[in-house]
Amino acid sequence: MARALFWVQRYQGLIGLAILLIVAAFLTGSTFFSHQNLQNVLNRVAVPGTLAVGMTFVILTGGIDLSVGSMLALLNCIVATWCRSETPLILTACYVLFLGALLGGINGAIIGWTKMQPFVVTLAAMVSLRGASFLYTHNSNVSGLGDAMTPMQQVVYGLPFSAWILLIAVMLATVVLNKTVFGRNVFALGGSEAASRIAGINTNRIRIGAYAINGFCVGLAALIFTARTNNGQPGAAVGYELDAIAAVVVGGASLLGGVGSALGSLVGAVFIACTDILLTLKGIDDKVGLGLKGIVILLAVYLQNLGRDRSQIRSG
Amino acid sequence: MKRLALLAIVIGSAAVLGCNKPADNSATDSATKGNTASSVEMPLVVFAQANSQDPWRQVFDAEMRDAYDKDFSKRIKFEEQDAQDDPTKQMSVIETLMLKKPKVLLVSPVDESLEQTLAKVYDSGVPVILLDRGVPGEKFTAYIGGDNVEIGRQAGEFMAKKLNGKGTVLMIQGTAAADPTKHRAQGFMEAISKFPDIKVISGDDCGYQRQKARSYMESFLQSGKPFDAVYAHNDEMAIGAYFAIEAAQAPKKVIVGIDGCQKEVVEMIKAGKLDATFKYPTPGVIGMDLASQIVEGNKTPQRKYVLPTEIVTAENADKYLAENPNLAK
Repeated sequence: MARALFWVQRYQGLIGLAILLIVAAFLTGSTFFSHQNLQNVLNRVAVPGTLAVGMTFVILTGGIDLSVGSMLALLNCIVATWCRSETPLILTACYVLFLGALLGGINGAIIGWTKMQPFVVTLAAMVSLRGASFLYTHNSNVSGLGDAMTPMQQVVYGLPFSAWILLIAVMLATVVLNKTVFGRNVFALGGSEAASRIAGINTNRIRIGAYAINGFCVGLAALIFTARTNNGQPGAAVGYELDAIAAVVVGGASLLGGVGSALGSLVGAVFIACTDILLTLKGIDDKVGLGLKGIVILLAVYLQNLGRDRSQIRSG
Repeated sequence: MKRLALLAIVIGSAAVLGCNKPADNSATDSATKGNTASSVEMPLVVFAQANSQDPWRQVFDAEMRDAYDKDFSKRIKFEEQDAQDDPTKQMSVIETLMLKKPKVLLVSPVDESLEQTLAKVYDSGVPVILLDRGVPGEKFTAYIGGDNVEIGRQAGEFMAKKLNGKGTVLMIQGTAAADPTKHRAQGFMEAISKFPDIKVISGDDCGYQRQKARSYMESFLQSGKPFDAVYAHNDEMAIGAYFAIEAAQAPKKVIVGIDGCQKEVVEMIKAGKLDATFKYPTPGVIGMDLASQIVEGNKTPQRKYVLPTEIVTAENADKYLAENPNLAK
């Protein structure tokens, strides 16, 4: 029984997705599995999926980042403004990826140095960054990008460009988490900060790294987002941090830290996107969908906490 | 045992998700499969709404549902999805709705970033009818909406008459980046510019929200600057301003709002608390009618339909209530 539980916990995202796909097959027949809908799912999952990959690192350390929605809006406005002034896309991309990593790193550093809860630090960042994006754009949308984002709007080898970014991000994240010392230290930090410190790990540095990777992923998501909307909106992406956290949790990560995977988070994001699409296809009010999403998140967290020792909650 | 129960819940909720609408679905399925002459599949018209939260859009939705139940359910099958004001969400909603192969797409775009998504739909041969908000470019079939500049102009003329051509007006503004805000200000200033003795103070951006307008009005009253009238870019803010003035027991001001979609506003006008509002007409029913006619093939739509406004004052408030049964509560 314990073994069965382990498998359910580990693969809950996949199990949920499998059930959902079976339901979809019964309800919509071939529509759901058409080529057009595959593109649709990929388009829809690109932004929350990329955010979820970054969020995985943060949640693995036992932290949380509430600032990603606001950060996405700010970087979205910066991408749009740079594109409008005809800066080469590659330069713009490098700049926002760097800026994302920097902002994320600052979050991580503040948490490490002040010993404040990640929840509070990133909540503050969420508020400030939202203000910054409105200041940056003088309260208005940034439009008139022309063809600047066209390279990112193409379909490459049968998949949207954004889907390739997401898939590569998942692959790289998986390698970093499983094959590098840094990755192992991220797991260790989430497992127990005190033990990691005793083992000689520089926990502050690991935390800064995890939050910086998260910020980098927000930069990627901002590029995808801008390619999709072709403008910059200071009020964009409200609540996206919660979508990302939900995807990570549904994908089998534990909010206590130390358990989770990038691939699982991707599956979680796909699960949520497919649920939304199925509801739209069946013409069901999207408020019903919000309710269902809440139930799914509760179930996912409950499943993760089953059989886990309470003492795993890190004492800081 | 507990775990088994949980699994049962998971599967159960999936089943609920699945079974939520099977009746409706099997009806259309059997209609498609049973190819007898009597069962004809109704042409599908889908509607992607920007949001269903603000009072004006609630009336917009309610009028459409009403009209569908009464008149259109025999001609088309109608489905609506809301995007909660998130443009990327609306893109996904539209892409998903297209999988159902609708005959016409009605859409009230969240903002102009929907341009490419809508162009794709239009290029695939599905007529696109824009409601209330437009997108740049040429790739849509028709646009239906009110004229905010004209509404602003009429509000300005009314205000000038009310003030006998002399006084100070505080203009409480809507969301800064939004087109209606710019247009409602522009029309108003145009009309007022003919009256050199009327001064307009450009107030803060109160985001079309009652609570923000109230707080702003409270601090404006505190400042002691004299003014005779308030022009708010929507009724919610007009109500907020009224509450602040009433609570401060300040002398009565002329207060004019826009939208005319709430019963509360009309009642307040009847009671003399507010002076007037201008109806910002909802385009939903006309859009549905146009869609039905396109589906039936007996109409080449115009490019643009401009809906007229209507003033509501204490004199015609009762008549207005009777003519508009779907006003928000």
